[in-house]
Amino acid sequence: MRKVLLIIGILVFITFLPIFVDMYLIHVASSIMLFMCLALSWDMMLRTGQLSFGTAGFFGLGAYAAVIAVDDFAITPIMSIFIGAVFAAIVALGVGIAVLKLREMYFAITTLALTSVFLVLARNLSDLTGGAAGKVLFNAIFDGDPKKTYWLIMVFTLLVIGISEIFQRTRIRYAISSIRNDELVAKSSGINIFKYLLFVFIVTSAIQGAAGAIYAQQYAFVEPESTFSANFLLLPIAMALVGGIHSTLGPIVGAIILGFASEYLKLLMPYGHLIIYGIIIILVIIFLRKGVYGTIVDKIRSN
Amino acid sequence: MKKIFNWKIFFLLMLIAVAIFRPYAFFYGLQRGSLYSLVALPLALILGIVGLLNLAHGDFLTLGMYMGYVIFNQFHFDPIVSMIFIGPFLFLIGFAVYKSTIERVLKSHHLNLLLITFGISITFVELVNVFWTSRPRNIYVPYAARSVNILGISVGAYEFLYVIAAILILLAIMFILKKTRFGQAAFAVGQNPKGAAIVGINVKLVYTITFSLATAMTAVSAALMMPRVSIFPTVGGPFTMKSFCLTAMAGLGNLPGILISGITLGVVEAIVQSIPGYSGWSDLVFFGVLILVIAIRAYRRAER
Repeated sequence: MRKVLLIIGILVFITFLPIFVDMYLIHVASSIMLFMCLALSWDMMLRTGQLSFGTAGFFGLGAYAAVIAVDDFAITPIMSIFIGAVFAAIVALGVGIAVLKLREMYFAITTLALTSVFLVLARNLSDLTGGAAGKVLFNAIFDGDPKKTYWLIMVFTLLVIGISEIFQRTRIRYAISSIRNDELVAKSSGINIFKYLLFVFIVTSAIQGAAGAIYAQQYAFVEPESTFSANFLLLPIAMALVGGIHSTLGPIVGAIILGFASEYLKLLMPYGHLIIYGIIIILVIIFLRKGVYGTIVDKIRSN
Repeated sequence: MKKIFNWKIFFLLMLIAVAIFRPYAFFYGLQRGSLYSLVALPLALILGIVGLLNLAHGDFLTLGMYMGYVIFNQFHFDPIVSMIFIGPFLFLIGFAVYKSTIERVLKSHHLNLLLITFGISITFVELVNVFWTSRPRNIYVPYAARSVNILGISVGAYEFLYVIAAILILLAIMFILKKTRFGQAAFAVGQNPKGAAIVGINVKLVYTITFSLATAMTAVSAALMMPRVSIFPTVGGPFTMKSFCLTAMAGLGNLPGILISGITLGVVEAIVQSIPGYSGWSDLVFFGVLILVIAIRAYRRAER
C-alpha cells in the first residue's frame, strides 16, 4: 500500500512540475527523461546478454524519419513520432535477422558499425536528408511549447517504464534471462532464442527511434554528426551502469543521478565533460559492478 | 568436400584486374590498405593473445600522433625519427592503462571488457580535446609531398613507406612469435591460457607485455601518418573499426591474411572513391564488408 501511494505521489509531482518551475528546469527534466528512455531500452537489450552499441544509430534514424515525414510528406508532428518508431522497428527487423545470430563482441561491434552506416547514409543522401548541413523542421510539435513537450516526453517515459516492467514481470523475463545465463539450457528447454532476441531488439529499437523523433521535434533540427552523436550511446550506458543493470529502477536512478550531474558539469566545464562519463563507466565496471541501485538492494537483502 | 572457390586466387585476380584497368586506384588502394593493415596488426595481436577487443586502439594512435606533433613543434625532430620517442611513450601508456583498468576485469564477463575499453576510448578522446582543442593540426615536411611517375600516372611517393612498414612489422611480429622465447610463450597463452599456466608460463606477465608492446607498435603508424593527415581528437577512431574489420575478415590468428584483406579493402575503397559523385560512399565499404563477413562466419558456425 505504501508503495502504491509513493508511486501516485511521484506521478502527481512530475505531472504538475512544469506549472511551478522555470523553463530551464523543464528543459533539464525533459532531457533527463528522454535519456532515461534510452538507458532503459539499452538495458532491456542487455538483459538478453547482447550488448548493443546501436542506440545512437536507431535514435538518429528515428529523428531523421520524423523530420523527413513532417517536411516532405506533410505528416502531423505527433504522427511523425510513430513514424520514427515504426521506421526504426522495420530497420531493426531487417538488421536483426541478419546480425542477431551473432553473439557477444561480434554483435556489439556490428551494431557499432551500424551507427556509422546510418551516419554515412544521412550524409550522402543529400536530397532526402539535407546532407552534411542537416535539415530544419518546418512544423515543430505544439509550436515548440516546452510544457506540452514535457508532458509528451513524460507520457512516453511512463510507457517505456511500463514496457520494461512487462519485460521484468511476464514470462518474457524468464526467456530473456535464461538466454543470458545459459543459451544451451534455454534452447533445450524449448525457448526459441532467435524469436525472443528479435522481439526485444525490435521493441528497444522502436523506443530509441521514438526518442529520436521526439528529440528532433524538440530541437526542430537534425544534422548527421550531432544526431548520430556518441552522446546518445554513452550517456545512456553510463546511466544504466551507474544505476544498476538488469532492472527497471536501476537505469531510472542512474538517469536522475547522472542527468543532474551532467547538467551541473556542463555549466562547470563546457568542454570535456565526457571525460567524466568515460571515467564513470570505467570506475563503475571495476568497483561498483551492480551499480547504485543494485548495491542498495543487496545491502537491504543481506540485513 | 573439395574447395571449389579459393578466396586468395579470387582476390589476386581482382587486384590484377584493377591494376590493369584502374592503375591509380590500385596504387592508392595499395598504400591505404597497407596503412590499414599496419594499424590493424597490433589490434589483432591483442585480440589473439589477450582475447581482448580493444575499442580504444585508434585512440592510442591519436595519442601517439599528438605526442609526435609536440615533439615536432618543440624540438623539430623529423616525424619518422620521433618514432623512437613515441614508441616508449605509448608502451608506458599501454602498460598503465592495462594495469589500472583492464587487468582488473579480465576475468569477468566479455561485455565488461568491451565496455571498459569503450570507456577508455571516450576518456582519451575527450582528454585530447581538452588539452589540444578540436582544431586540426598539421605537420609539414617537404619530402612527404613528393610524387613519382609510375606507368604514366603520378602517385604519392611517401605513402609507399606504409607498404614497406606493413611488411616489416608483419615479419617482425611473425619472427617474435615463432623464434623468441617470449613469443612462443605468448603463442601458447593465446592458444590455451590455462594449459600455459600449468606448464609454468607467467600468463599475467605475458598479457601485460603483449598489450604494452602492441600499443607501442602503433607508434610506427602514428609517426608515418603524421605528415599526411590532419591531427584531431577523433582521427584514430575510424581506424579501430577498420582494424577490427580486417581482423574479422582475415580470421583470428591469421596475421598475413590481414595484409591481404587490408590491401583488398583499400583497393575497393579507392575504386569507390574514384567514381565521380560517389566518393562519400567509400566509408560504407568497410562497414559493409564487416557486417557481411561477420554474418557469413556466424551462419557457417550455426550450420556446423
